[in-house]
Amino acid sequence: MNFISALTPLQWALLAAVPPAIISLYFLKLKRHPVEVPSTYLWTRTIEDLHVNSIWQRLRQSLLLFLQLLVLLLAILACLRPGWRGTNLVGNRFIFMIDTSASMSATDVGPSRLEAARKHALGLVEQMESDHVAMIISFSDVPRIEQAFTNNRSALRQAVNKITQTNRQTDIREALRAASGLANPGRTSQAGTSDVQVADALPATMYIISDGGVPAVPDFAPGNLTARYVKIGTATPKNVGIVAFSTQRNPEKPGQLQAFARLENSGVENAGVDVVLYLDGALVDASSENVPTDAAQGVNFVLNDVESAILKLEVQYPDDMSLDNTAYATINTPRRARVLVVTPGNDALKFAITTEAVSRVADVAFAEPAVLETKEHETLAQANAYDLIVYDRCVPKVMPEANTLFIGRVPPAEGWSAEAPKPYPLIIDVDRLHPLMHLVELGSILIYESLPLKGPEGATSLIDADHGSLLMIAPRSGFEDVALAFELVGEYPEGDVNAKTNWQRRKSFPVFVMNAVRYLGGARASLDVTGSRPGQPVKLRTDAPAEQITVESPAGVRTKIQRESQNAFVFTRAEELGVYTVREGAEREAGQHFAINLFDSRESDLVPREVIELPYVEKKDQPAAGGGQGTGQTDDEENRVGVHASVAEPSRKEMWKLLLIVGLLVLVFEWYVYNRRVYL
Amino acid sequence: MSSTQASTPLLSPQLLAQLERLELVSRKIFRGRLKGERRSKRKGQSVEFADFRNYVAGDDIRFIDWNMYARLDKLFLKLYLEEEDLHFYALIDTSTSMDFGDPTKLYYAKQLAAALGFIGLCRADRVKIEALGASRKNAAPALRGRASMWRMLDYLNAIQPGDNIPLAQGVKDFCLRNSGQGILVLITDLMDKNGYESALRYLLAQNIDVYVIHVLSQAEIEPDVTGDLRLVDCEDDDIAEITVSRPLLNRYKQTLATFIDGAREFCTRRGMSYLMTSTETPVEQLVSNYLRQRGLVQ
Repeated sequence: MNFISALTPLQWALLAAVPPAIISLYFLKLKRHPVEVPSTYLWTRTIEDLHVNSIWQRLRQSLLLFLQLLVLLLAILACLRPGWRGTNLVGNRFIFMIDTSASMSATDVGPSRLEAARKHALGLVEQMESDHVAMIISFSDVPRIEQAFTNNRSALRQAVNKITQTNRQTDIREALRAASGLANPGRTSQAGTSDVQVADALPATMYIISDGGVPAVPDFAPGNLTARYVKIGTATPKNVGIVAFSTQRNPEKPGQLQAFARLENSGVENAGVDVVLYLDGALVDASSENVPTDAAQGVNFVLNDVESAILKLEVQYPDDMSLDNTAYATINTPRRARVLVVTPGNDALKFAITTEAVSRVADVAFAEPAVLETKEHETLAQANAYDLIVYDRCVPKVMPEANTLFIGRVPPAEGWSAEAPKPYPLIIDVDRLHPLMHLVELGSILIYESLPLKGPEGATSLIDADHGSLLMIAPRSGFEDVALAFELVGEYPEGDVNAKTNWQRRKSFPVFVMNAVRYLGGARASLDVTGSRPGQPVKLRTDAPAEQITVESPAGVRTKIQRESQNAFVFTRAEELGVYTVREGAEREAGQHFAINLFDSRESDLVPREVIELPYVEKKDQPAAGGGQGTGQTDDEENRVGVHASVAEPSRKEMWKLLLIVGLLVLVFEWYVYNRRVYL
Repeated sequence: MSSTQASTPLLSPQLLAQLERLELVSRKIFRGRLKGERRSKRKGQSVEFADFRNYVAGDDIRFIDWNMYARLDKLFLKLYLEEEDLHFYALIDTSTSMDFGDPTKLYYAKQLAAALGFIGLCRADRVKIEALGASRKNAAPALRGRASMWRMLDYLNAIQPGDNIPLAQGVKDFCLRNSGQGILVLITDLMDKNGYESALRYLLAQNIDVYVIHVLSQAEIEPDVTGDLRLVDCEDDDIAEITVSRPLLNRYKQTLATFIDGAREFCTRRGMSYLMTSTETPVEQLVSNYLRQRGLVQ
């Protein structure tokens, strides 16, 4: 609540003189009307009784004075123009963007941040005038247009009230694009002509009602859009959240399972929390951790003899957000990958693919290239009998229904090509982030020659060399093809077959093979390490070919999913956090489980950001739309600041009208009392 | 006093006709100076036989029943009911406070005094109507017989408000001057800041049959006032400042009720008759109903 003086000092001085004037008039008025009575005997006794009675009687006697002073007080208050901060509605087209991401479920303000955002949006809608139009967009990682541009305030209110909380992450880009598309209509360019504007640009003001936990948006041009950010949330929220939870088998002790979790404290004080681990609903372990403020803390648990289970990790700490206090991980019965290696003979590959580590996760079969010609193989390959087929120095006639790894050959699929072999490629860069290249160290590798690869659209180069890519991965309708541009063993011009690289002698080679078996062969990892985020599609595969699977959400809602083109099922309704159960075909038993967790430090960090970083706001000298309610200064500021959508300027929702109405009512009441005061 | 009141006769012919049938009654035995038209509770000389008693030496031999003596040879004395007159006093408070109301309390008091006095005159009682403090100016005449009615009315008409002597003082003066027994009707508003109790106590000492008729105007019973007022006492210019509100009025009514109850209790305890009346109650009604019930007239 703040005040703006509506009067000059002189006027204030005059106004200040009114209350003393009223009081003095009141005392002057006390020159009471004289009335002669037979005797004051009874009156005196009556008054004495009342005098004894209480101050209230005196107050009652001065009721008119108080009422008059109250009227004056209300008038003075109205002159002070009390108001509170809202957001000024500037212009006449508005886009209200309401954040519905997981962090908006925090309860540090009101019932929840979303509720506060909703209230704010409703307040803005209330401020709209009849010629204003507005649109409501809710956004988490996807935008949702709740209400298209309308001047129907009740529709807008309804749309705002309809907005629901999601468990998703925040990604404002799409929402911005949706908003900007309306303010900056598309242009079309035709050959030989300059840009043609297809529709008039309509400047609009965009109110982003959010806690600001939004990733930076680098490639967005607001154009006619003026962004204003309305911050929701208190500056000192309290939250300890689980931002990661994964399980891994101990490579040394196969029966042992390790569960790792990472806790982050975004609050302002250190938090002592109890972390409790449940296995299939039963408490198996717990620990007390101290998570320092603005820092992370790792927790790990060791579990023995766990084949398949649902793990639930719970942080017991009273904080403002409960969504990230629980995390789930599922351990499904390990399924072995089916790998076929078609090779004319490659000891190094054979050695690397028959290690104990590989044999734990995959069944590997070997075949000569001649098998590619057989009908039997062709049928198997098309029937999804393998998860991964490795083609060493050979190519199939038709690409199989499986992931493939081509060694020294170009996949016979559309888009793949290679130039003539180039000698002695020099490795320049390795994409270490890709699971295939995980822990693969390629220093001091010598390669005799390589085919500079060119992949189809969507292909990613994992190893770049001076001649071109040495390792490429490309998607192919549900599968992935990987091509290694050089042979491990091959025929030299002299005719002898020998190693063409020293890679297979390095430790990184078996690691690469293991990665390939895991990544390309493991259609479904036995340990659900990655987990999926709420709202994202989850790709499921079944052991046996099935036409339909049923997914049961944590709340018990069952969804039937039909098979896609390959033996893959895509589940798109993973909105809830928790463990989903998958039943294959008509099976009653749960086949597998997968967990949906929040796992987002940004969402768990509840401290509202002061600034949402948007790129440079192109400001035009806009005509003062909507009457230009004193926004010039702020606009200048924004121009100067440039890249920030500044925190919304303080707007005023004023209450002087209300005060005056109340004052008028008091005046009417005073008149009534004056006329019928006997009855009070 | 309004002009209508001045021109209207205190007693209308209808009222006179009504009053002729009534007589004043005293609850006490007393001796009148002259024989009146009433049977006294005392035995005495009259034509109406009451009883016999034995003769004792010194008795008036005129009352010996000689027939009885002849028959029984014993002397008996015949007793007759005494017929005697009644001393009726009406004492009117003429303080300025009585000059309020419509009709004024004083006018009402005069009317009442005239009515009662007329009853007395009709029954050949000794009627004396006095204004409090009147002794200083002109003493009230003692009246007897119907013919004195006009003198009584003249005297009443001549009474003017303004004798603001304390009630107690006025009553004391009266008692000093009139020591006789009889009926005393005190018509007053009892609005004396020094209290009415001492005044009534003087009357108690007189062994007189006392009736206190408390006259209040309607404006005193139901005050019709609003706003911020300075109430000025018409007698002593005392000032009371009030802001009229409902609680204040309620409180006033409570005070008034307490005041009336106090006066009634004071009188009842001391064998006086108390009657509160408003000036709105017609005198005829007061005399024929209320005073009859109280036993002042029959």
